[in-house]
Amino acid sequence: MRPANNINELIKKLHLKASSELDKRVHDDITKALAETQKTKSAQPAPNIWRIIMKSKITKLAAAAVIITAVLLSINVWDNSMPAAYAFEQTIQASHSIRYIHTKSFWASHKEPTESWIEFDVTGKVRNVRLHLPAWTEPDDGDKKIVWKDNKAYLWIKKKNIYAVMKDNIIAEMIFTMIEGLDPKTALQSLQMLKSEDKAELDIEQPKDKTSPIIVTAILKEEAKEEQPTTEVEREMKKLFNLFKGSEKDISKFVLFIDQATKLITTIEFYEQRQGRQQCICTIEYYDYNQPIAAEIFVLEDEISADALRIDQTTQDVGIAQGDLTNKEVAVELVRQFLEALIAKDYAKAGRLFSGTPAERMEKTYGKIRFIRIISIGEPEEPNTILKMPGAFYVPCTIEIEENGKIIQWHPEHSYVRQVHGQPGRWEIIGGFRGI
Amino acid sequence: MLEDKLLIWKFNRGDREALRDIYEKYKDELVTLAAVLLRDISSAEDVVHDVFVSFIKTAAKFRLTGSLKGYLSTCVANNARNKNKARQRHEKTGLDETASVGSGTNSPDTTAMLGEELSRLNRALAKLPYEQREVLILHVYSGLKFKSIAGQQGVSINTVQGRYRYGLEKLRSLINGEVNKNEASK
Repeated sequence: MRPANNINELIKKLHLKASSELDKRVHDDITKALAETQKTKSAQPAPNIWRIIMKSKITKLAAAAVIITAVLLSINVWDNSMPAAYAFEQTIQASHSIRYIHTKSFWASHKEPTESWIEFDVTGKVRNVRLHLPAWTEPDDGDKKIVWKDNKAYLWIKKKNIYAVMKDNIIAEMIFTMIEGLDPKTALQSLQMLKSEDKAELDIEQPKDKTSPIIVTAILKEEAKEEQPTTEVEREMKKLFNLFKGSEKDISKFVLFIDQATKLITTIEFYEQRQGRQQCICTIEYYDYNQPIAAEIFVLEDEISADALRIDQTTQDVGIAQGDLTNKEVAVELVRQFLEALIAKDYAKAGRLFSGTPAERMEKTYGKIRFIRIISIGEPEEPNTILKMPGAFYVPCTIEIEENGKIIQWHPEHSYVRQVHGQPGRWEIIGGFRGI
Repeated sequence: MLEDKLLIWKFNRGDREALRDIYEKYKDELVTLAAVLLRDISSAEDVVHDVFVSFIKTAAKFRLTGSLKGYLSTCVANNARNKNKARQRHEKTGLDETASVGSGTNSPDTTAMLGEELSRLNRALAKLPYEQREVLILHVYSGLKFKSIAGQQGVSINTVQGRYRYGLEKLRSLINGEVNKNEASK
């Protein structure tokens, strides 16, 4: 190439790295400037802030925040006659007008928070949700972005370059449960109901300084800790909550911070007993209460790579119909049909069974492997993984394949199946076979 | 671009991490831009630093109408132009037109950082008049439109396009000349 023929392309290649000195100067200034901002802010009524907890899983989103609900509901004891001037009804009243919230959940054992943006309609129903789940929530997937709107879930897994769209009642139910959990009215009803049962010690601290938050501390008694989630979704969320906080211990204490000016919850801290002391294991922060969220925040399309694998489960029948088979029987049948399709090189069918993956992608992934025969398909087991979703199974199997001229026995480690979201009575392969 | 909107959305609300994310995302491009304009890395970093300090102060009221990269690039270019003018005022001899990014035409540091081909480009860029260099780098490297650059420089689009055309031709000629010279000396 003559050196000047493509000057523009050359200019675009220019790249210098900022020095560590510059990094330090700028970061120091950011810290300093924001400290100043905080000082100024603290002299004003604290902003309305909300926090949630949102979590998810492969299939999409799980709002561990919901667990808050479970926890809140299992707590109790609210006494309106308490000496504090603050009354819980004030928070209920304040929460009625919520249209937008932004939340971050921080976990003791993880650096990056999970984050969500939620828009409600005028009646208080969830209209749109966006979730950012860091890689630690599912290392195989890497970072995940999820948007839920119009009863559809849009999932972007950058690491795998997969963009999936699905109707998902489970997600809808999880979000609903989560929102319920955030609704102080629901919490109050439970608290009032449990008030007489004496299942928690409650302390309310209302500082005279109106810029400081009201602090409500609840220490759970053993009876309250025994409260268990009652629905499948609640149970799943409880599991997620435990996974994220890194233990299966019950929450022993939680602390709510309530803005005195707005009477809105700004932070919830969760504690559990570790090594003889109360340790905060999760903090949910609520930000930007009623700060409008731009519509494009709830659209992932612009962020998807042009060459991403696009799977739209809302426009095709995915997997196989269960018919009269039991869950375990259909799980085995599904894996059998999937492997037979690969043996027959019927990539269209294999893709349909594999979450609706396009045939060309299946061929690209599996085309170089010769599937010779199924050696065995074992008894479906509950997946021992964060990937677990309600009703999902791990199906152990052994297949004889030829790859790179060698014939080997292959035991897929993550051959998972589950019911298709939004397609009742159908089951699909959800991953783990190879490369997708 | 949506990522930028989210960052700004957080930034407006005083999210410290958003500000850091913005800095981390664009720092290298901005330093490169300023270094090409000023031909001095130290001054370039000062410019980027100043831009971010000003940016921090706008946290609550900043509204993104175009691209964040375009906005920051414009800020850096404005700041660099002011710095360049100040430098010209204070240094009677003016700037060494043969100097380049990395504080010297043949700075081994620069060559190591950019590679030989880009260093050659960089030296050639340094020989362009400031206005032409600014148009070229803002349009090609930072992706700004001529209209936007015209508004920023306070001149007509025709003038900007002329600077771009002349700048590109001269750059091509300079690079070819240097290559031919090198080949002749072999």
